[in-house]
Amino acid sequence: MDMIGMAIKIAILIAYAIIGTCVGLLFMGIGRKIIARVHNRVGPPFYQNFIDVAKLLSKKTNISHGWIFDLALLFSISGILLTLLFLPIGGAQLLSMDGDAFLVLYLLAIPALGFALGAGASGNPNAGVGVMRALVMMLSYELPFVITLIALMIYYDTTSLATIVKMQSIDGIKSWAITMPPFMIAAFAADMALQGMLMEQPFDIPVAPHEIASGPMVEFGGKYLGSLMLYKAIALVAETTLFVDLFLGGGVVMHSGVMAAIINFFVWLGLIFLLFVLSILIAASFPRFRIEQAFGFYWKYEAIIAAISLIWVYIMVIK
Amino acid sequence: MLDIIFAELIVAAIITFFVREKLAAIIAFFMSLLPLLALLDWASNYGFAIINLGIESHMKIYLAGVTLHLAITPLSWFFALMILPLFPVIMLFSYSFFKENDGFFALMLLSLLATFGILLSRDMLSLFLFWEMMSWSSFLLVYRSKDRNAIMSYLIFSVFAAFAILFGIIILWHENSSLLLSDILNISGKPGFIAIASLITGFAVKAVIMPLHAWAPFVYSKCDESFVAFLAGGLSKLGYYGMFLFLFSLKGVDILQSYMTNVSWNYLLAVFGALSAFFATLIAILQDDLRKLLAYSSIGQLGYIAIGFGIGTPLAITGALFQAFNHAFFKAILFLTAGIVAYRTGKWKISELGGLAYKMPFTFMAALFAIFALAAIPITSGFAAKWLIYEAAIQQKYVFIAPIMLIAGVGAFLYSFRILYGVFLGENRHDNVEEAPKSMIAALFILVMPLMIFVVFPGYMLDLMKPALQAAGMESIAHTKFAIETSLAKYNSIAVLITLMVAMIPAFIIYKARKHRVTSFEDNYLAGEPYELHKPSMHAANNFYKPLKKVVLPYLEPGATHYFEKIYNGIKCASNAVRRVYTGYVQDYAIYVVLFLLFIVGWLIWI
Repeated sequence: MDMIGMAIKIAILIAYAIIGTCVGLLFMGIGRKIIARVHNRVGPPFYQNFIDVAKLLSKKTNISHGWIFDLALLFSISGILLTLLFLPIGGAQLLSMDGDAFLVLYLLAIPALGFALGAGASGNPNAGVGVMRALVMMLSYELPFVITLIALMIYYDTTSLATIVKMQSIDGIKSWAITMPPFMIAAFAADMALQGMLMEQPFDIPVAPHEIASGPMVEFGGKYLGSLMLYKAIALVAETTLFVDLFLGGGVVMHSGVMAAIINFFVWLGLIFLLFVLSILIAASFPRFRIEQAFGFYWKYEAIIAAISLIWVYIMVIK
Repeated sequence: MLDIIFAELIVAAIITFFVREKLAAIIAFFMSLLPLLALLDWASNYGFAIINLGIESHMKIYLAGVTLHLAITPLSWFFALMILPLFPVIMLFSYSFFKENDGFFALMLLSLLATFGILLSRDMLSLFLFWEMMSWSSFLLVYRSKDRNAIMSYLIFSVFAAFAILFGIIILWHENSSLLLSDILNISGKPGFIAIASLITGFAVKAVIMPLHAWAPFVYSKCDESFVAFLAGGLSKLGYYGMFLFLFSLKGVDILQSYMTNVSWNYLLAVFGALSAFFATLIAILQDDLRKLLAYSSIGQLGYIAIGFGIGTPLAITGALFQAFNHAFFKAILFLTAGIVAYRTGKWKISELGGLAYKMPFTFMAALFAIFALAAIPITSGFAAKWLIYEAAIQQKYVFIAPIMLIAGVGAFLYSFRILYGVFLGENRHDNVEEAPKSMIAALFILVMPLMIFVVFPGYMLDLMKPALQAAGMESIAHTKFAIETSLAKYNSIAVLITLMVAMIPAFIIYKARKHRVTSFEDNYLAGEPYELHKPSMHAANNFYKPLKKVVLPYLEPGATHYFEKIYNGIKCASNAVRRVYTGYVQDYAIYVVLFLLFIVGWLIWI
């Protein structure tokens, strides 16, 4: 590749990293506003999270528990940015040709594991319990999620997210996966898994502020907490984008041209916003599950729903 | 050259038995480097293509009228590259691990000799002889544990495996009238099926595939960690070496299929592999003993290799061999780490440990890296291996196996964190614990090296196994130095690593922008209570995955061990019944004799 092409690609990647961060923070602010309105409160302004992050990152007093604790900060931001850039976003492929859906699944574990390391190193028992809950939640929601993922993979005969997006955008909205009956079921299961991935109620068990003092982040303050907030914002964008790429054609409605790129970008933005609002509304209406209940919910009901779609797709494919 | 190596190893084993422990370790370390040097010498002198042709063996031993053929093949070269480096590392580790020399080094050298022999043997007789030598030398090492369960289970399963292998070899010899591995197996139908199936069963015992795994948790959790590092890292791979040899190099897959064409026998192996990956992972999550946890995690990770062999496409086998290579190294690191922890604290229960990371930072870093490899985090070579197996499963549309092994991969995060948090992080409970001795640290970091090299260059690993695959008539996967490409997708390691490093920059800017103060462990949020007042227990490691345990345990209860115990009890009852015949009264024995004579007379009259 020539130098100019390389430079343009790097610039695009940096732009998307910044866009992802800003969109995430904006959504979190809007989410707070929506929840407040559901609760019949006024709520903070929609830009509140920008203020929060700026304040936290510029705090003069920061307390660390040693170098392993600092890994949380370093790995959470870098890991989640890495994940975001390996996803196709609104028709822009970014780095998604160099990896696939399995890579994205495992990349998502880098920030989570870094975060867990930092939480563990703080030595607070609440943090340990919180991470335990987060990991059990992960084991729970991953089962329906990987089953739906495999259904998509064997249907499109690829594991690459870029290819899945491309095959769904051949015919515009009509060729999105969600328009097919087996994938409608799969999308339902995957959306429930997404709810757990986003750690929204009823699956906010890992942070559970009233039970275990915010769980893993109990010892985090100042720049550490600020970086975790950034992590959460970017993770929100990355996880909803993963869903959009899998089921909603990555938000691609038009091909070729600058105009198409802009329209696709805004369709993607609208879709992840809709998904986020959906999850916020579910969160505002349901109380928290206990961890065994969540595990049972995912491994019994959701897994069966996902398995039905997988079997359906399998029969379609081998015919 | 081979005869010199064999002779030297035997002499060294005898010498190390009599000298003091430090000197024994040094002798053993240098002697165990010899086979490795021989490997490198072969690679540079001969290449692989020539060696694999025919049976121009490098050495023939004439033993009691039988000829043992020994030669190196691409396959054995690859497996030797994975298993043999463990020996010098273990010797280095054991330099300060043992208080006195009670034969450990001598037995390890004999195991090395046997391993080397298994990998080199080119006929089934020498394969079996060296296999048995390896079995008894490792049995004597197990015997040092003085734990009845471990000793008995290892003995019984080893004997079972040996019989199964011998049975298979005898049938092959009878039908084929040749023991040479270079001859094509001219056998099919039922005898061929029985022979191959019993061979695979025999190897599956050492490869700890799930219904035959019952010995492993006992043995892995009771023996010296430096030996277990070889047992889990090296010996289990010999089981998979045998499977590869008979299934793919000797085309055993076709022989199996020739018996019943409508059943995919290979698929059965993949299912067993997937089930052992899944169940062993769930059991590992619930363990409290560090060594037991590692034992079950070992069974789970080895399951992936069985899945790869079971799927049987070149893609899957590439992944399986890659996984075998990784597993040899990361599991050795983890067992050696468990050894260090026990050496310094004398404890194995995770709930009694904690806070060792700041006391032994280098051990922690090596263990962390091994755990990243185990959990297949894409900054270690563990990811590429599992990725290849996943791709193969999707390519073949194996919809039952794929989700099971993916969820087992997620389960690996759970027990990984259990080790990290329970042993190394959390409350500091050991004030006067030091970093491990230098030789142990050196051993760990030697083992970390390949995991680091092959994450940057996964293509080099594929190059290494290419001759072995070609010798078995398979094409290598399309790859460059950094990237692997399949029909489904592409994985580019360098893109991941460079992007991660670049993404570190903003994180690092945030980290450096404001200063921080490092506080002691006691300065912690305890809802307003000062720590000094009550000194509460701060380590949430007892019964860690309790909610999961409550849900999962009822389904895991009737495990394979349960059925083996039933068989054991049945045999015990039967033996007791037989024993009753020997009453100890002379009258009874007289009646037996009379009855026997009457029977003979009656029988003679009848004919």
